Amino acid sequence: MTRVVVDPLTRIEGHLRLSTEVNENGVITDAQSSGMLFRGFERILVNRDPRDAARITQRVCGVCPTSHAMASGNALDDLFGIADQIPKDALVARNIIQGLNMIASHATHIYVLWLPDIVNPAYRDVLATIGETGNALWKELLYRFAPISYRIDGVSIPPGKAYVNAIKEKKRLQEAIAIIAGKMPHQMSSILGGVTYRPNVADIGKLASYYYEVMDFVDSSTLGVDHGTWLHNTFQASSPQNAVKFVVEHLQELVDKSLLSNDFSHSAGWGDVELLAAFGCELIGETLLGLPASLKLDRTGGYDSNSSVGFLTYGVYYDVENGDGYDPLEFGKTGFQKAAFITNSLEHQKFDHRNVTEEISHSFYTGEDNLHPFDGVTEPVIDADEINYSGNDQSKYSWMKAPRYKGVPCEVGPLARMIAMEEPLTMGLIKSFTDNGYSAANTFTRMVARVQEMLIISEQLRKWITSDLDPNGRFSVPADLNMAKDSQGIGLWEAPRGALGHWVKTGSDSKITNYQMVVPTTWNSSPRDKNGIPGPIEQALIGTKVSAVENLLGIDNSNPTGIYHAARSYDPCIACAVHTIDLTKENGRNKRVFDIV
Amino acid sequence: MTTIENTDFFSMDRRTFLKVVGAIGASAFLGVHHTDITKALEISKTKIIWIHGAECTGCSESLLDAGNPDIVQAIQKLNVDVVYHETLLAQQGIFVDGKPAGTSELNSEILLDEAIEEGDYILVVEGAVANGPNGTGKYCMYGERTFKEIFKKAASNATFIMAVGMCATYGGINAADSEIVDMTDFRGVAFQRVDPSKGMLTELGIEKPVINIAGCPAHPDWILLTLAAVILGKIQLNDLDSILDKYKRPLVFFPEDITLHENCPRRGYYDKGIFDTEFSGDACLWKLGCKGPYTHSDCALRRWNGSVNMCTQAGSPCISCCEPGFFDNGAPFYQEAEDKTILSGLNMDNAAKIGIGAAAVGVAAHAARRILFDNNNEKEEEK
Repeated sequence: MTRVVVDPLTRIEGHLRLSTEVNENGVITDAQSSGMLFRGFERILVNRDPRDAARITQRVCGVCPTSHAMASGNALDDLFGIADQIPKDALVARNIIQGLNMIASHATHIYVLWLPDIVNPAYRDVLATIGETGNALWKELLYRFAPISYRIDGVSIPPGKAYVNAIKEKKRLQEAIAIIAGKMPHQMSSILGGVTYRPNVADIGKLASYYYEVMDFVDSSTLGVDHGTWLHNTFQASSPQNAVKFVVEHLQELVDKSLLSNDFSHSAGWGDVELLAAFGCELIGETLLGLPASLKLDRTGGYDSNSSVGFLTYGVYYDVENGDGYDPLEFGKTGFQKAAFITNSLEHQKFDHRNVTEEISHSFYTGEDNLHPFDGVTEPVIDADEINYSGNDQSKYSWMKAPRYKGVPCEVGPLARMIAMEEPLTMGLIKSFTDNGYSAANTFTRMVARVQEMLIISEQLRKWITSDLDPNGRFSVPADLNMAKDSQGIGLWEAPRGALGHWVKTGSDSKITNYQMVVPTTWNSSPRDKNGIPGPIEQALIGTKVSAVENLLGIDNSNPTGIYHAARSYDPCIACAVHTIDLTKENGRNKRVFDIV
Repeated sequence: MTTIENTDFFSMDRRTFLKVVGAIGASAFLGVHHTDITKALEISKTKIIWIHGAECTGCSESLLDAGNPDIVQAIQKLNVDVVYHETLLAQQGIFVDGKPAGTSELNSEILLDEAIEEGDYILVVEGAVANGPNGTGKYCMYGERTFKEIFKKAASNATFIMAVGMCATYGGINAADSEIVDMTDFRGVAFQRVDPSKGMLTELGIEKPVINIAGCPAHPDWILLTLAAVILGKIQLNDLDSILDKYKRPLVFFPEDITLHENCPRRGYYDKGIFDTEFSGDACLWKLGCKGPYTHSDCALRRWNGSVNMCTQAGSPCISCCEPGFFDNGAPFYQEAEDKTILSGLNMDNAAKIGIGAAAVGVAAHAARRILFDNNNEKEEEK
């Protein structure tokens, strides 16, 4: 057994440590995921004016601040009892802000954070084994995806074209948010009661032009076919089988054309998605297309067939078809992306937030265990000697808690949302994988789901901007601080990386007495619970082979690409995930049970 | 406003340079002076080590949102080598059976140690440094060590240190009031809130030149222009006092005698005494809690995200996110300053200034009078 530790896992937000045991066959047999930072965020919120929470909680994460502002906004709308009055156009504006950030965050993850792993020198060596085709492919990958400050064998590699263009695109999307929300990161517009800004006709025109710029980027880089064609044949396919059939036939055409010329350029029809689908995935590339090699990303980051890991989404975006107002307690029941809990056997169940608990048996906290977030009583470890990451799963090893839904660890994020929507391409791929003995969730399906969601939201965004947003509408309703006296609120939402919940309680002076956040990476990167069941990333690591392409060129523990792909495919965000649940025991009034739904 | 009389880059003196960078922004500056800069930089590459402590990566995100030039172009134009940056780096920290494995081409922690060893770099710090619990720094760790140790090592060998964003400068949200703030004990590089004696450098007994780029997040122009000024020798590291305020913020971006309020796009409404009392209106935001009159920044001129907008223009009260003591000095964000404890808040110096001198006084007092008079349907024409 060899202990292989990745610490820090870079190209994510924050500090994450992945400690693994690797056996003599190069297979990961044990894994612990550790959040390495304690900030005490929720404690900082106590005794403050609740209206400030929508600004303060954004500082949890600079990558997805809008999601925190929205979840917090929902919790505040509920706290002040005005959610049913929020004007439709305020809800549309919030949807637009969130949609733009969702696309920006996904593009950043795909191009700036995740794809640089594909130009790991291990893949140069693997691709070299298939001769000219492999060498041509390697050159194309470097040309597109190399990150900044990159060197191989002492030679500087210029940043890739897709990498550089994605940064420009992300920048433009943030500009678009700033047009209606002041600035990014940490937008200023979404507040208790609505938004601060009434967009004018010129703003709407500008927003629409940003949509077209995004689509230009997609068409000139992400996809080799027009995005309309892609969506028509995948997202709008008549069946999951047809969606997969379209992709495979499309790829077969490209392969037939390019295997002779070794031309893998975008002008030859190879979008980034096509390159990854054909050469990144064993099932599609080798089995279905008959290619001589692939990066076998679908063999990394999967769950064992006995795994209980489920999929969870709270739903996201307001249903603006029904005019003003929304119901925070029924959030995600209607609308564009709905709430769901999906079991490991892909059975859909109705989501009920009362089934969410957090455990601390392996987290650096003391106090009562297994509580609903609203009743959480937790204290951080203060003895420095107890903060020790070198142990194993017998001790505490993370600042993240272990959230569970009905006791089950859950994967959250684009894949969970695409499954909840029963998105045809995602469902078709999942069926193909499970039929062929692969895990339904794996590095490849997670990345496809992320791309697919980026495209689907772009289309939805166009509708919000060009048909739903009325510059003559109303954008906020007033609320007096007294309305938050002795109250409570719940805010459910989705961040780009998964389900996000805020819970707030106030006292007789309307100040915050308790503020709770259960965030996506806490779900994905959770440590073990009291039954010893590992979190989703831990389970995804166990069973993955440590080095490139299932150790094709031998075991190299000093370049554990299997760990990078598997963990990073969840788009971890550690600043979000590490926080303490607030003290409520000092305040007897807040002992009451949160009795909603 | 500043006029640009002398655009000959090489003959420009330092003060003119600072005026120019303040007036025209990173994009125009690096664009206009590209040829000169290229000449000056043929000599050497500047290494930057960028480390992350307790933070949200919002400042790195903000830098990625830099306009024209974008971050990749800026790196090329300034001939900068970003040696280490956790969010962008290809490398990972890799430990096999407890020992760092491989070389700096794949292992970020070997890379970091080698780069620190070599010296001759600018250290950029994003995020606060955890000192808790009990001075151990174990509330923030990575690469098998505390961030406090990493900071100590990297700071000791740095040419100078640029602290970016509220967390690295003054502790930011990590050091905001709470029951546990003394236990977590997060420090900025040279300050904890407004207290320089509690800066992490002082704690560690290290003396280095420091520039603080405030803001939550820091504006990409502030970051890039300050880097440009240092790299091009337009800021003398042995004479920082003349260009920084007492919180080590560059005066050119955070002027002592001007507040955001003076150039606010909604200033016209203020001058007419028209105030919004509900959100999503067009008028002055003072009564909705705007802290613009207390905020020394050039946001209203520079604006954000490619200059498309800024907070008050988007109907949001300024929350004073670049003053030391943020979040406590600006909070509650949506309550009129006159009603609240802002004047007895953390940033006493700021309060004193409002009380006694300079333009800020006029503004705040004027605002108060304006509201008063406006309520009585009287007119006032001062300023």
